[in-house]
Amino acid sequence: MDYLRLMSFGPDGWGYSLLAATGVTVAVAVCGFLVGAMLGCLGAAASFSRFRALRSAADIYTTLLRGIPDLLVIYLFYFGSSSLISSVGALFGAEGFVGAPAFLTGALAIGVVSGAYQMQVFRGAVLALPKGEIEAGRAYGMPPLLLFRRIVLPQAARFAIPGVGNVWQLVLKESALISVIGLVELMRQAQIGAGSTRQPFSFYLTAGVLYLLIAFVSGRGFKLAEQRAMRGIRRAV
Amino acid sequence: MPFDLPFLAESFVALLKGIPLTLQLTVLSVVAGGILAFALAFMRISGKWWLDVPAQFYIFVFRGTPLLVQIYIIYYGLSQFPVLRHSFLWPFLREAYWCAVLALAFNTAAYSAEIIRGGLLSVPAGQVEAARACGMSGLLLFRRIVMPLALRQMLPGYSNEIILMVKSTALASTITLLEITGIAAKLISESYRPVEVFVCAGAIYLAINFLVARLFAWLEYTVSPETRKPEERRA
Amino acid sequence: MPDATTTPAVALSGIRKSYGPLEVLHGVSLEAREGEVISILGSSGSGKSTLLRCINMLEVPNGGSVSIHGEAIALDQTPGRAPRPRDNAQVNRLRARAAMVFQSFNLWSHLTILENLIEAPVHVQKRNRKDCLAEAEALLERVGIADKRNSYPAHLSGGQQQRAAIARALTMRPSVMLFDEPTSALDPELVGEVLKVMRDLAAEGRTMLIVTHEMAFAREVSTRTVFLHQGRIEEEGHSSEMFSNPRSERFKQFISRENA
Repeated sequence: MDYLRLMSFGPDGWGYSLLAATGVTVAVAVCGFLVGAMLGCLGAAASFSRFRALRSAADIYTTLLRGIPDLLVIYLFYFGSSSLISSVGALFGAEGFVGAPAFLTGALAIGVVSGAYQMQVFRGAVLALPKGEIEAGRAYGMPPLLLFRRIVLPQAARFAIPGVGNVWQLVLKESALISVIGLVELMRQAQIGAGSTRQPFSFYLTAGVLYLLIAFVSGRGFKLAEQRAMRGIRRAV
Repeated sequence: MPFDLPFLAESFVALLKGIPLTLQLTVLSVVAGGILAFALAFMRISGKWWLDVPAQFYIFVFRGTPLLVQIYIIYYGLSQFPVLRHSFLWPFLREAYWCAVLALAFNTAAYSAEIIRGGLLSVPAGQVEAARACGMSGLLLFRRIVMPLALRQMLPGYSNEIILMVKSTALASTITLLEITGIAAKLISESYRPVEVFVCAGAIYLAINFLVARLFAWLEYTVSPETRKPEERRA
Repeated sequence: MPDATTTPAVALSGIRKSYGPLEVLHGVSLEAREGEVISILGSSGSGKSTLLRCINMLEVPNGGSVSIHGEAIALDQTPGRAPRPRDNAQVNRLRARAAMVFQSFNLWSHLTILENLIEAPVHVQKRNRKDCLAEAEALLERVGIADKRNSYPAHLSGGQQQRAAIARALTMRPSVMLFDEPTSALDPELVGEVLKVMRDLAAEGRTMLIVTHEMAFAREVSTRTVFLHQGRIEEEGHSSEMFSNPRSERFKQFISRENA
């Protein structure tokens, strides 16, 4: 069959390049996700802060980034850092446009966007904590940091797993947008294949199936993690 | 990099021209997707596996793949089939506009179907039973009791979905459409001034989404007077 | 029109109901004549609520027949399949005549009390909205919650909600009223106000079938009492006689336990 030969791992097949591109997709998505987790943690912490300035900053961050298209943010990061690099380059006598590294800017862009969503997840998880348990910690004389480390964090982490899983799926799908700034991940590789063989449907369909596969497998992973975390709760009781 | 006010104003005016297309894509796909979503939600709760399983599969596929893949499959992918190229559908499928609407509608249908299903399942069984005991059934029961109760549960989730759709229309720029993001990309590549263009385009999207959120908050407020205190209601 | 004195308001004969392999009603027959108030008693799991719900087809019996004012409900009881009514329009019509009051009130939370009352008369019975409104206002007056007409159910106490639910049943102008443990979900201090309304209805000569745990009410208000045990009628008779002279051992135990 034509399709199978096209996607094969033989000399004229696209199997290897698609597989490698899938690896790039996973890598850039994981990086973006981790950047987002850090930003989300910081944002959530800021939103519970005593200082009004920090609370408003966190609020503005999550509102802005959840209201603006991801694609626009990716453009900003790519062209913004490129023009910065270009102007720095001009100082040293380089000429014309110098592109920023697509992997780095792409991962940062989706990281900043997903951070806004993860912040909401973390906030929700902290708010879902039973008030009584925190009070009990206080009643036994736990100082704030100890209380956070021993009581709040372990429980909030459990509550956050489903929401974090959703954000991961979001990041994975968002990573396809990085293809517009030239990173050869799965989507871009499919585009290249579609262009050179004139079989766009076969390539985009394959890309879709691969995305679905990653989403399915990682979704299973999050489910498992959730089950283990919840079993922990019951055991503790 | 100093902020160039005249350029900022110029970009802003240029970007404003993209608003009608962004809104059109949103409204058309939300309406078409909403109808499809209702059909999918009913298939999911029909209790018949041969309706439930296909709907589940549809939702799994469209929620599990990037919207960009869906847009490319429809816009670029379908041309691989000569049968389609010679069919009566081709005048539509050749147009980036209709392909974008189609992809966005298919996409939002998958997400909305779950929101609608959740709303329908949240209707208290006792209130449905009371309606049956009064002799209501079928469309009357759905229109007068089930739908008004389900709507209250659905609105917050649906409001989020529509904001996501406004943002998703940005992807139409990847298949040549000049909506807000399309114009922004063009301006950036002409001027190399991403920050100013981003600020303008971002502000427009935020304004649209703010209005959508307000509209839904107002809708939620008007359809659920029972959650308010009597004094507030009279005011 | 069938003669009211000879045709029972509700006639159940040989009602059987099962859920999967479990049969909860093993052939129950019961007649309620016009103006009778029948209390249906039994411990939980005796099938008393199921029996009541078989009258308006909220549960469709697997065997036996139901007639309301002589009109038999056409049922498809093919063995091996879920039983179902043959004619849904007939069921809807008869349901409007046999109004039900639920344990958990089940007022529609998106409608005001007044809107709750006129919903079915206007949309099911297609009666004039204005007339229904006037009637509903009068009924709210009667059950003592006229001031709540524009409130939503969530803002009423349980007792007020149940009185509103009774008024909702009355706006259907039912010929039979079915009460499914109407006071079981209420705080003890709110039970009295609901029972008072029901007492008044009984005094009016309405036909009522009441599944209840209120022994005093059953004894004093209902004309007849039916005691169900494990899906069968264990004992039935005139209420006053049955309570002062229980024949079966089980009913004796039941009253002593409930009164304890």
